[in-house]
Amino acid sequence: MPPSPSSPPSPTLPAGRPAADFIIETDRLGKTYGAHAALADVTLQVPRGTVGLLGPNGAGKSTFIKCLLNLEVPTSGTARVLGRDIRQDARASRERIGYSPERDCHIAGLAGCEYVTYCGQLSGMPMRLARQRAHEILDLVGMGQERYRPVDTYSTGMKQRVKLAQALVHDPDVVFLDEPTNGLDPSGREHILALVGSLWRELGISVVMCSHLLRDIERVCDRVIIIGHGRLLEHDTIANLKNRHRRVVEIAPAGAREPFAAALRATGAGVVVLPNGRLRVESTSESVEWILQLMQAHRLPPAEIVANPDALHELFLKSIADHHGNEPRS
Amino acid sequence: METSPGLDLSRWREAPHGVGYRRLTIALAGLRQLWRTRFFRLLLAAAWFGGSLIAAGGFVFSQSIATGGWLETLAAKIGPRAEAVVATAGAVVALYPDTCVHGVFTVLFWAHSFLGFWISLLALTSLVPSLITRDRSSHALVVYLSRPLTSSDYLLGKLGTIVGVLLLVWTGPLLLGWLLSMLFATDRDFVVYSFGPLLRALAFNGIATVVLAAIALGVSAAGRSARITVLLWICLWTVFSAMALQPRAPAWVTRMSYTHNLGQVRQEVFQLDRALGAASAELPLLDRNLKDSLARAGRKAESTDFGGALAALGAFVVGASLVFLRRLRPE
Repeated sequence: MPPSPSSPPSPTLPAGRPAADFIIETDRLGKTYGAHAALADVTLQVPRGTVGLLGPNGAGKSTFIKCLLNLEVPTSGTARVLGRDIRQDARASRERIGYSPERDCHIAGLAGCEYVTYCGQLSGMPMRLARQRAHEILDLVGMGQERYRPVDTYSTGMKQRVKLAQALVHDPDVVFLDEPTNGLDPSGREHILALVGSLWRELGISVVMCSHLLRDIERVCDRVIIIGHGRLLEHDTIANLKNRHRRVVEIAPAGAREPFAAALRATGAGVVVLPNGRLRVESTSESVEWILQLMQAHRLPPAEIVANPDALHELFLKSIADHHGNEPRS
Repeated sequence: METSPGLDLSRWREAPHGVGYRRLTIALAGLRQLWRTRFFRLLLAAAWFGGSLIAAGGFVFSQSIATGGWLETLAAKIGPRAEAVVATAGAVVALYPDTCVHGVFTVLFWAHSFLGFWISLLALTSLVPSLITRDRSSHALVVYLSRPLTSSDYLLGKLGTIVGVLLLVWTGPLLLGWLLSMLFATDRDFVVYSFGPLLRALAFNGIATVVLAAIALGVSAAGRSARITVLLWICLWTVFSAMALQPRAPAWVTRMSYTHNLGQVRQEVFQLDRALGAASAELPLLDRNLKDSLARAGRKAESTDFGGALAALGAFVVGASLVFLRRLRPE
């Protein structure tokens, strides 16, 4: 599936970054375990940027990432990461890739800073440089003095941070993050999401983030891939996907909501009063300009207007349901 | 290194080191982790003490032909009989340096090979459970294999750790012992005629290193828990050794013990039988009983199943490598 032309603009890349157009290119990529197809005919081209990988449990998201990293051997098709064939250039294709797996993975007995330094060295960094960068990255992910404790003794949140640190220590061009906010407290989650979001914007490091938390994906990513039952269901920018979705606007009036609801109903739009007092409006227009004009015409009080508030969530459910031949639950 | 204006992060844009460096990193990390254990440090101390014993033995032997040397002075202090024995021994060594120096160093290195071998086995017993098992239980393989490394690189890195252990507890002390004893040697003949036994000792050391390293890796990868790994290792070591020691055990049973097989290789490589036979046949002034004892000891030191033992060791290496590579999958 070719990328949509309306991809967000790329940040200025640091000198030395490869000029590969796509971070991931797959052609009919498949992986089967016996009779079960975990991944089937996945063909896509993913441009640089921040990409969210969505899908229900067992959809094949992790298998897709593992195939790209050569942790699983694809049974059919081809794949290139950063322009390098994952089978023919097995080692080289992973030189500029970082990976933070979903499950706990660490090297027992090493302190946090030793572990991240070691990971840097495993990617070919000289010892001194790896140690320096390990401390910088650990600062960045919010690890304090606990970096001097063995990783085995870390809490889930600390393990998440150290996993992210080891994925970034060698300054990769693309980083695969599998559920990076699992086990983090709200402030830790905010910190990590802000960091992940800035990786592409400020450093030009592309991010492929796999998460069940759609709001995290919506907040951080500019592009989404939806996988269900091993098949590629959707691949587009979030903006395009939202536009393809039925237009829903949520309005939170500053004053009485009844005049709002009446004015909106008078235009023929479907209006539902939500339990939180907001008005949910189904519209035919792509913009909210008509609502502003309506407010002006009826001298309505100011209101907070949110376009397509749960678009990704609904789209996700719809994609999965369409694949099953069912109607989406909404 | 450049700094990003937003994120306070230095950049790394240099070409990464090659795969050799990454394998060495794995090997050295393993050694560093081992160094932290007290038992390993204790074994190292014992191994290097063994090396210093070689040096001491070689030094005492070389003093036998040193006029006015330490041994002669000591013998003079003890009495005329001791003085005469030392003088005779010195004369024999001076007349038959090939037989004496070669023979004595063969015996020294042969004895040291037992010490080195047993210390290596103890070191591997303490190392084996943690070598791969720990990586498997903490899912560290994903960390390794998601980097520019393959299973073979991981294997070679871990092999490097084991080889490093064996070099530290066996080869290093052996070489140091020989070097120190040669440093104080009074005659060039000591260097010339001890060099052959040294090469033989190193050859056996090399064979044992390859075999032990491969078996240790295979055993380490076989189980996920340290307990199973230790049990498997001890079983391979002691149970099969005990079976091989049975006098009427068939050849295929004895070949199941890698310690027995390595023993056969040791006999063949060191050629102790030939050294003792030559001493018995060539050296003058030895009484009949001593000559007979030397000849008997030489016959006892003959290898009886070298080919079979070598083939069995080869099978061990191949089998252990297959187990390792089969088990080495990210989970």
